[in-house]
Amino acid sequence: MQGAVELRGVVKRFNTFTALRRMDLTIRQGEFFTMLGASGCGKTTTLRLIAGFELPTEGHILIDGQDVSDVPAHLRPVHTVFQSYALFPHLSILDNVSFPLTVRRVPRRQRLERARAALDLVQMGGFPDRKPSQLSGGQQQRVALARALVNEPKVLLLDEPLGALDLKLRKEMQHELKQMQRRLGITFVFVTHDQEEALTMSDRIALMRGGEIIQLDTPSGLYNAPSSLYAAEFIGETNMIPGRVVEAGAGRARVEALGGHFDVACSEPPAAGAAVTLTIRPERVTPVAANASNSAGGRLVDVDFIGTDLRLVYTMSDGTRVTLRRQNTGAAPPQVGQGAQLGLAADDLRLFVT
Amino acid sequence: MLAPSLLLLTLFVLVPLCVVAAYSFALRDSYGAVLPGFTLDNYRDLFQAAYLQVFVNSFKLAASTTAICLLIGYPVAYFIAFKAGRAAPALLLLLLIPFWINFLIRISAWVVLLGRGGLINQGAIGLGLIDVPVGMLGTYGATLVGMVYAFLPLTVFPIYAALTPIDPRLREAGADLGAGPAETFLRVTLPLSLPGVFAAALFVFVPSMGVFAIPVLLGGGKEIILGNLIVQLFLEFRNIPQGAAVSVLLLLISGVGILLYMRALRRVEAMK
Repeated sequence: MQGAVELRGVVKRFNTFTALRRMDLTIRQGEFFTMLGASGCGKTTTLRLIAGFELPTEGHILIDGQDVSDVPAHLRPVHTVFQSYALFPHLSILDNVSFPLTVRRVPRRQRLERARAALDLVQMGGFPDRKPSQLSGGQQQRVALARALVNEPKVLLLDEPLGALDLKLRKEMQHELKQMQRRLGITFVFVTHDQEEALTMSDRIALMRGGEIIQLDTPSGLYNAPSSLYAAEFIGETNMIPGRVVEAGAGRARVEALGGHFDVACSEPPAAGAAVTLTIRPERVTPVAANASNSAGGRLVDVDFIGTDLRLVYTMSDGTRVTLRRQNTGAAPPQVGQGAQLGLAADDLRLFVT
Repeated sequence: MLAPSLLLLTLFVLVPLCVVAAYSFALRDSYGAVLPGFTLDNYRDLFQAAYLQVFVNSFKLAASTTAICLLIGYPVAYFIAFKAGRAAPALLLLLLIPFWINFLIRISAWVVLLGRGGLINQGAIGLGLIDVPVGMLGTYGATLVGMVYAFLPLTVFPIYAALTPIDPRLREAGADLGAGPAETFLRVTLPLSLPGVFAAALFVFVPSMGVFAIPVLLGGGKEIILGNLIVQLFLEFRNIPQGAAVSVLLLLISGVGILLYMRALRRVEAMK
């Protein structure tokens, strides 16, 4: 199937600074695609290249199979929701939303009808004559969304659109955006630095760093099987455990860490003696019997009560801290200072050469 | 805190204005001395056809100067605000530098430039564009050139100041939503910069109404305008009350201009 957006060998340089190294990427029709990364990773540059605000230094950009590399922004079948909303301050809400139709010379009646429908879609039909400055941030966000959707673009680009909203509104909008995307079937290309937001909303996530995609995967794939230490650290919470390979076998390695020995499932185990970092998610760490295999002893130093969960922080015999996360069952949390044996299952551990 | 500025304003603005206003109702003897008294004749005389023609002349000159200044100044301001990049401060400084030189000297320089032996004529002859020097001095065109030269910076600055705060994302949004460069300008940038355009128009129109040196030096003073009229009435005809009446009228015209500007500005602000 032909992609909604394709980047072929796209390089972007600003003078001497290389913002994008060489990107090959196919965004599928109708998917919720997220570009995730810290600031300066090139995610916004990628979005601006697709929108046409920047032109690629090298390579080609295709939208719906058409090469648009040299097509100016106003002729591309994509619309953008800006981080700052970029609503026109001198136009009413209704005029803002009908702007894309006005410039396409859609007859007045039809224009107003469609603009009203778009405003209803984002539940902002109530006050079409107000000016943007009379709306709250969340309302402006909705109007910006309606304006970007009114002309039914093939692809909707969203540049950290929820960044300026408070947490509660943000969660609501995440949910609404995702629902809207499913209902309309439009391809969404979403840019964010918030990994939780990316995990919640996306069909696929491109994790970016230094102008490159370092992992392209589904949210669960990215979370459960990070391909790099950076990915493991960036997405969710991760325990990082320094260790040394003592024995390499087929599909597994034996690693000395936390004052004990651990078997780790691993497709290409490094040679014995290699310094490695083991990672494991806090919710995969389990209390086990004192003589269990793949386990180590530690002492509880901190308890965080999160509501749904408890976070228990242990200091192991070699000084490494390991966090365990478990559901809050209502039982009294353990006392700080208590000892415990922590089990790290071979399949839950991941190994990265350091 | 306000006291010193209030004192200055009273002393150097309010008092002279009151003196002029008072003179405009006064009488005079046949040697030109101002006599105490009260009359409206000085104003009544202004409705004579000759005076009305002077107002029409002044208005025409001020309006065309304003229009030309806006037509040239807007693109210049636009360029400096959005296209010049790092050269912008230097360009703004270049626009300011002429203000450090005396106004009359700058206008006299134009006399030299436009004269028969001037740089423009000699240059055109040198390039073979013309055979004999063209008489440019003493024409209405020369007056307009001088007027535009003098007032152009006053249009560039307020328009520049109105353009720079416009969020560049708004222009990107215009393009993103399907408007080409021209349409984005007409629907987004221009409406948002209107307060600057109004200010620029005011900055040019009001002083243009009272100008007198430029039309005399470059235009040969062929058309009498308000500025010349006031000078003539005060200095040549020694009719100080009549001159004062014209001055007061000029002041009223400026006042109306400022009032219109404020109203237009309020309407634009209400749009936002």
